[in-house]
Amino acid sequence: MGVTIIQQFPMKENRTGAQIIEFLTKRVNALGAKQCGTFLVDCETYASIPQLGVQRTLHVFHNSEQPASVFAILDNGTGKTVPVVADALFDLLLLKMSSVYTSKKSKVEIRGPRFELNDFVIKIGAININHNVKGIIVEAEYRPCVVFGLCWDMLREFLQGFLGSCVSNIPPHYFQNRMNDIFQPLDTIQQYLDHITIYRKATGILQPFNTTNT
Amino acid sequence: MEAVKEAPIPAMDSLTAAMKNNIVPNQEYLLQGSVLDSAVEVLLHRLRGLCDNVDSGPETFHDHEMCFSISNVYFSVHVLCPLHIIINIIFLLGSVTPQPLTLRVRRAIDYLDMPYQLRYIGQPELGDKSRPTILRNSIDVATTPTIVDFLTEMGFRMDFEYILRGYMFRKGRMKITVSKIFKMMVVGKPAPESVDPISQSYLVELSVLAPSNQDAIAEDMRVFAEQLKPLVHLEKVDYKRLTQPPM
Repeated sequence: MGVTIIQQFPMKENRTGAQIIEFLTKRVNALGAKQCGTFLVDCETYASIPQLGVQRTLHVFHNSEQPASVFAILDNGTGKTVPVVADALFDLLLLKMSSVYTSKKSKVEIRGPRFELNDFVIKIGAININHNVKGIIVEAEYRPCVVFGLCWDMLREFLQGFLGSCVSNIPPHYFQNRMNDIFQPLDTIQQYLDHITIYRKATGILQPFNTTNT
Repeated sequence: MEAVKEAPIPAMDSLTAAMKNNIVPNQEYLLQGSVLDSAVEVLLHRLRGLCDNVDSGPETFHDHEMCFSISNVYFSVHVLCPLHIIINIIFLLGSVTPQPLTLRVRRAIDYLDMPYQLRYIGQPELGDKSRPTILRNSIDVATTPTIVDFLTEMGFRMDFEYILRGYMFRKGRMKITVSKIFKMMVVGKPAPESVDPISQSYLVELSVLAPSNQDAIAEDMRVFAEQLKPLVHLEKVDYKRLTQPPM
């Protein structure tokens, strides 16, 4: 368990998600990375029924990197979010809540190849919202360190090395108040949620950084 | 380097497969009874002799349990309206309102870094005389301590809370707990000086958490309960009869 950061990679109009993944795979292979299986992160979103008052939103995540856990993030509708990490049977409990929290039927899946390169783990995934590819997400983990502030510069340089200038020099917004905190698996999930929210708000295929840096 | 692994299976698919293959422990077989404080030492002595953890002695526990519930209908009548309308509203609600969902959160007071336990318990099935134990649905999940805040923000309300202190024994797959229940004088404060025992007895529970259709274990429990007689009579307690007002 190290520090993980997540980065969007711009979609190009004339390329499919699979083509971009293949293109980036070649780049990380050129660095010497070896593919070690694939990864999957999924998110299901539920909304509270109107009888409960202010609408609350519940995001439930699974990550193949932590296969025995369920990550749930609740947004209470007034700006407060409460996360909880639970055993896999939490999904069964959620079924019991189906009369008060209903699925919004917008399943998100991020899947793609997983690579290892010495102390780094790299994952390149296509983000699917209701089975439509909306963009490409790259996850990089530096395993020997657990404090973001101590390895951000190296991670940034590492990502810029194969993704180019789409990687900002400014730390991701999520870490701005967490530079010296101990990194936990939930921090990865929170970053995924931030990215998913951006993709959901965008209409059609999102091109946040439609530059020519590829 | 590691060999290329198979593609990960979506979590919901593996859970569905586990349910189909009957490996999810979601049923609890249960017998309950009680002993007076004055008799507990004799029972503990007997259990020490019968149970597996002979050398290490019984494991003690000191837990705080909170019971939360959520209902899908909260309503209040703010305006005066004709009686037949109220009756209609109640009739409508009665036809659509299921039982409120109740969840329990349990945490160890003596081990603060242990995960919290979130638990769903279904309606107990007593069955006929041929069934030796109560059977109820049970989903037990370990969670982070944020679960209390999480449930509260979800819209759950805490109905009651209490403290449990006692001993736990094992006998094969069976779990035997002998515990004393304390009520909390100050909400959310389980400090020893602000708790009061609710009775002069100990609750004794014999339970097994198992996947569906493992009724053979119920027979083992009946045999074990027989061995504890006459120190304690473990029975199928009918909650419905307890809640009915005396005639």
